Amino acid sequence: MTQTSNTGPGRNSSTPPAQQLTSCGDVSCELLVDPIPRPTPDPIKITLKPKVPTVTFLDHNKPNSKLIMTYAQEILRERGVEVKDQILVKADASVRMPEAMLQSLSQEGGLVLCGISD
Amino acid sequence: MTTYATIEDIENCMENGWTDGLPVIPPYGSLVDEMLDAMGWQGQDIIGEIPSQNIVVRAEKAAATAVMAGCKLEYGRLLRAVTEGLLDPLLNISGAEVTTGGASILVIVSGPAVEELGFEHSTNALGANCRANATVGRFAQMMRYFCGRGGGVLESHGTIGHPGRISFCIAEHPETAWGPYHTQFGLPEDASAITLMSTEGPNSINNHYAETGALILDTIGDAMCHYGQTAWYYRSGGFVVVIPPDHMDLVSKEFSREQALDYIYKNARRQTDDLIAMGRIAKSPIEFAQVVPGEMRSPLKSPEQLTFIECGADGGRFSALIPRWAGSTHTVCKQIV
Repeated sequence: MTQTSNTGPGRNSSTPPAQQLTSCGDVSCELLVDPIPRPTPDPIKITLKPKVPTVTFLDHNKPNSKLIMTYAQEILRERGVEVKDQILVKADASVRMPEAMLQSLSQEGGLVLCGISD
Repeated sequence: MTTYATIEDIENCMENGWTDGLPVIPPYGSLVDEMLDAMGWQGQDIIGEIPSQNIVVRAEKAAATAVMAGCKLEYGRLLRAVTEGLLDPLLNISGAEVTTGGASILVIVSGPAVEELGFEHSTNALGANCRANATVGRFAQMMRYFCGRGGGVLESHGTIGHPGRISFCIAEHPETAWGPYHTQFGLPEDASAITLMSTEGPNSINNHYAETGALILDTIGDAMCHYGQTAWYYRSGGFVVVIPPDHMDLVSKEFSREQALDYIYKNARRQTDDLIAMGRIAKSPIEFAQVVPGEMRSPLKSPEQLTFIECGADGGRFSALIPRWAGSTHTVCKQIV
């Protein structure tokens, strides 16, 4: 019989997998081997509220991303929102952005708008 | 009522996210230790990293997954090669897991290992009811699922996915007309090998009445050129062509492998303007897409993006086409040692 450390009945797909399960027989228990590698530290940190009212654009290189970004730039400008002129471009939509770009964006005080495509 | 402890362990694994959706063999430590031995690793050996998710993968994770998928210990050396391939950064396992493209990891087994380990390479070759195919294919998908989601906290975004995301393993005939599959990646003919790539689901290709190999290749090329093929824009992945014996008999009489590649590359094309009109080319194409209005466009950027595998049963004039995921820019081919 198995016991779990952090979840109960009614688990849904958005609940992270248990980190530990134990199988207990009549006289002893055995830890099952967790098959899922865990990130160390947490995989990502997001600041939800920008410190400054500026929008930086990042085109992730999917179809029409740049077109949509440019359009968004125009609309935001018309509405009086400060937007940066340069639209940054990620080289490949399917892989992680370069570390230097990630570090640079993590220092942004404003909103970073990225990953738009049709 | 009798209590079946192992059944409860299976249920608990499934209730707590240690599953691909099907019942698993619970990863008891004793079973995982045996699998580690079979794979030639110590439990804490670091066997790969997924830097984008700050994940270090240790051998016990792969061994536990192999146990859960139902793999036999005798698959150990093959599973080690598969694991190393899955964690090769060029395969982009986390990208394949979370993409809207709903990709699976296709495992191709070729060489003497096919018969030594009991892989089905003939009847229902793409969906064999055979333990070796089913569990090795399942192992690869479980690794993708377990390792590609940031420890289970990231969501997959596959729009529709396909059944290969549960298991997708194809084995090649031991005897082939054009040489083993892995020779297309530079490995020696007598080697046993696994080849990994991320793919969409297979498209069936039927031609029962053609009397020449060229017509069979034309039929395959036509399947590559339907409007809905993902390949039209990026052309970054390519295709795997699966040829069973009846079609292969016709094709191999007229073509070598290289000639067949060249024939399809030259002839399977569609007018770029039609693709633009149909909405299959972005309005502002990126440079990588190499869009040239007015020209005939191949769904392949180069002939090397097309490979052939010989498998399947006699007695039906079917082939199959497996389109690769748009983000699948690399194939990983490893010798089993």
